[in-house]
Amino acid sequence: MTKNNRFLLVDDDADDVSLFKEVLEEVNPSIDFISASDGQEALNVLRQHQNNSPDIIFLDLNMPRMDGKQCLTEIKKDPALQRIPVIMYTTSCQSKDIEETMLKGAICFITKPSNLKELKSILSSISQNLRGNLEKSLRELSNTTSTFIVC
Amino acid sequence: MILIVDDKQENLFSLKSLLKVNLYDVDTAISGEDALKKILKNEYELIILDVQMPGMDGYEVAENITGYSKTKDIPILFLSAVHIDKRFITKGYTSGGVDYVTKPFDPELLLLKIKTFSRLYKQTKELNDIKQHLEQKVEARTAELTETNKELEISNAELQQYAFIASHDLQEPLRKIITFSQIVKERFLHDEGSQYMNRIISSSERMRTLINDLLSYSKLSVSPEFVLTPLNAVIKDTITDLELFIKDTNATLIINALPSIEIIPDQLRQVFQNIISNALKFSKANTQPEIKIWSDFTKEKSIESHAEEKGGYFRIYISDNGIGFNEQYLDKIFTMFQRLHGRAEYEGTGIGLSIVKKIVEKHNGIVTAKSKEGEGTTFIIVLPVKQTSKHAVAFNT
Repeated sequence: MTKNNRFLLVDDDADDVSLFKEVLEEVNPSIDFISASDGQEALNVLRQHQNNSPDIIFLDLNMPRMDGKQCLTEIKKDPALQRIPVIMYTTSCQSKDIEETMLKGAICFITKPSNLKELKSILSSISQNLRGNLEKSLRELSNTTSTFIVC
Repeated sequence: MILIVDDKQENLFSLKSLLKVNLYDVDTAISGEDALKKILKNEYELIILDVQMPGMDGYEVAENITGYSKTKDIPILFLSAVHIDKRFITKGYTSGGVDYVTKPFDPELLLLKIKTFSRLYKQTKELNDIKQHLEQKVEARTAELTETNKELEISNAELQQYAFIASHDLQEPLRKIITFSQIVKERFLHDEGSQYMNRIISSSERMRTLINDLLSYSKLSVSPEFVLTPLNAVIKDTITDLELFIKDTNATLIINALPSIEIIPDQLRQVFQNIISNALKFSKANTQPEIKIWSDFTKEKSIESHAEEKGGYFRIYISDNGIGFNEQYLDKIFTMFQRLHGRAEYEGTGIGLSIVKKIVEKHNGIVTAKSKEGEGTTFIIVLPVKQTSKHAVAFNT
């Protein structure tokens, strides 16, 4: 039996987490969804389930305890976690945030869409291209949506 | 007070009496050394100096007096019975004297001289006092201004920071209002309810645009570097960003070959973006928008000056065939939140052109527009080809 794909969302905003979960279920019900409410909790979850790592991590920037940048640094430092692709998923679209996180190894920077249809097309594109060229498909998506996507 | 210096008591006495009779305050010294001591201690308006004295002679005393900054302005009048030869008189002048009187002297003439010199000294002193007072005042005022300036800079930086944080934090709840309104509309509402929800959503979207515009306005406070950039590349980027808008409005753009100049590319892209999207936005109904961009060089930072190929300033013209505006509102269009049209007629937040103005000013340039109602608008931007400093100055308002 093939293992289900697994998405981790790290976000302290409960509304965003529930919307994300709802849309993801609609896009592909077979995907396992897990969440963490800050960077430290995310690291704990990741380290506890090392033999069942997520296929992709969505990381918010502003969070209590440990923010997204710090969490990204920790993930990229850890040999057991550094291969998991990380997508920044945040309200900000400040160029200094984008530059910093991309340099630290995030594959993509997405501004949280306010439109569920756009979130749906983003998540469906990601779930379909997990094993393929994720960056390329997101870049293509960025041309057709109004959501801010940088890859 | 007048100081008389003479080694002979009888000379001192007769001169002192003459001056006292004429109501002058008088002091005396019986040698050069004695005179110097007194000059340092007291303030004199005139020194009458005998030339030949034992010890320090008159010339030496004069040289000493003119050497001190405190005493250099006191006029010295030489008085001599022995040294009446021209070379002694010359020496008297070169050592710092203002006059050289030989004995026997005419008391009336001497008194007139004394009167003149004493008045001159008093006037000079008065002027010096005023000058010093003014200098002190200027210094104090400058210190005050520097302090106020520093405070202003700080509060300005705080304000910009505040604007940035405020608009950034406003985004988050607004995004949720939009998201959840959409969900409510799609899942639970029909007909009338859905129409009201549409109004909520479009107002929120407008507010979001406003916040984004405010955000980019406050972002302008950082000071990036000027880079030599081909302007056509900047405009090409802008057009790519506006591709959909251009397609929707069926607009044609005619862009001449433009040179490379020193700019902050991201910011100038914003300038073109705002002006071009304005041209598209304010197009005439039933008329295909046509936007032209061309340029020339000029020697002065001026809108009107003659075009000259080797000028240090570069002038960009962006014209459209849109609705235009009455030039009496020219100042208004570059001011934040000023809109000439109702929101129903034309969309927009009223920040776009104030950003244009701020950016152009950061590039040490000027911007204006020429327009007539119903006949289109031409924006003119004048920028220096080379910037004098590598970094843009932080903007103080």
